[in-house]
Amino acid sequence: MSSGGLRYLGAALIVLVGIWLGAKFHLGRHDHDGVAVPAGVASTPHATEDLALQAVEGPQAVVPAKLPDFSLANLAGKSTSIASWNGKSLVINFWATWCAPCQREIPLLKTLATEWADRNLTVVGIAVDHPDKVREFAGRFKIDYPVLVGEQDALDVAGQFGMASPAFPFTVFTDQRGEVVALFVGELHRPQADFILSQVQSLNQDRIQLAEARRAIAQALSAMADKPG
Amino acid sequence: MRGVESNDTDFLPPDVAFRIAARLDGKVVKIRWVIADGYYLYRSKIDVKAESPDLVVSTPELPAGTVKTDPYLGTQQVFTQQVEAIVPYTRLDAGAHPIQMKVTYQGCAEAGLCYPPITKVVFPTAGSPPVAANVPPYPWESVAIIAGAFAFLLAGLVLRKGRKLDIPT
Repeated sequence: MSSGGLRYLGAALIVLVGIWLGAKFHLGRHDHDGVAVPAGVASTPHATEDLALQAVEGPQAVVPAKLPDFSLANLAGKSTSIASWNGKSLVINFWATWCAPCQREIPLLKTLATEWADRNLTVVGIAVDHPDKVREFAGRFKIDYPVLVGEQDALDVAGQFGMASPAFPFTVFTDQRGEVVALFVGELHRPQADFILSQVQSLNQDRIQLAEARRAIAQALSAMADKPG
Repeated sequence: MRGVESNDTDFLPPDVAFRIAARLDGKVVKIRWVIADGYYLYRSKIDVKAESPDLVVSTPELPAGTVKTDPYLGTQQVFTQQVEAIVPYTRLDAGAHPIQMKVTYQGCAEAGLCYPPITKVVFPTAGSPPVAANVPPYPWESVAIIAGAFAFLLAGLVLRKGRKLDIPT
């Protein structure tokens, strides 16, 4: 091929690469705009390395490895520390009265609270809402597990779990040593809860290591998210 | 020990899930939301109020939404994909102040996540793309343009190299 032909070939290649780069960035933007990645995958140190690739914007929130210390009012208005349940595994569910998926979760949470009561596990609801609304709601829905409530102070607690601008619901699972095993964003369903709690129980019985449990949860929930229903 | 990282990026940030834009169109302001796939806005939660002085805002006119039935919240009308609110307004200040409106809206992801009510102040201007406070800009448009322009520049240089002008003597 002549040198002139090579130059034309090189120029065409450069143009094509430029167009490809431009299209890649442009399409990448629209992917972020309109496509929601699978919801409801528990976060673990291992899982989030993949999830981070799907991040939309901004720094990823970091959830503490250990349950932070905080206090909020209970439904009677008495300040209650989360340390009240030290030594128990916890399912800490953040919710609000205006949130439909939060309401849909409540029967499951009540069931879990009953089924796991004899296995050293407590469900604690944290309502980020006006206390009067929460009291009325808790009565109407016959919520029989402990509920803490707050507005800005509850938002601050959500922030301690890395959810500085939270959407609801989200649920934190800890083992009886206070290790945060998983943080699940979105509506919790029975298969997901069962799997996470089975790992929590294995941790409590020293049958697996924390990292192993987190990895197993990440893999299982990713698979569930890929096969909804 | 390394902490557990959040997976909240599984869901879109609210400003991306519900992109808001407003513009002046005669005696009305048109506020448009572009709603990401898999997300919806509640019709009943959309509210527009005057923010600038001496501005009177009427109730926004909204199209009928899609009926969504939830076992707990009952029947609600929701918007998906996009929706436009037409907001009649009257200025009592003869245009002394720029128009500002406070817009509140609330929505959820179908996958089971709801965002708290979002309030934005919009600054609609005639014929302009809408501006809403706190809506994050995207840099990719400019990156795409620059990459394309750079490619054409390089291509031009490659073609030009070695070429002799055919000037008649």
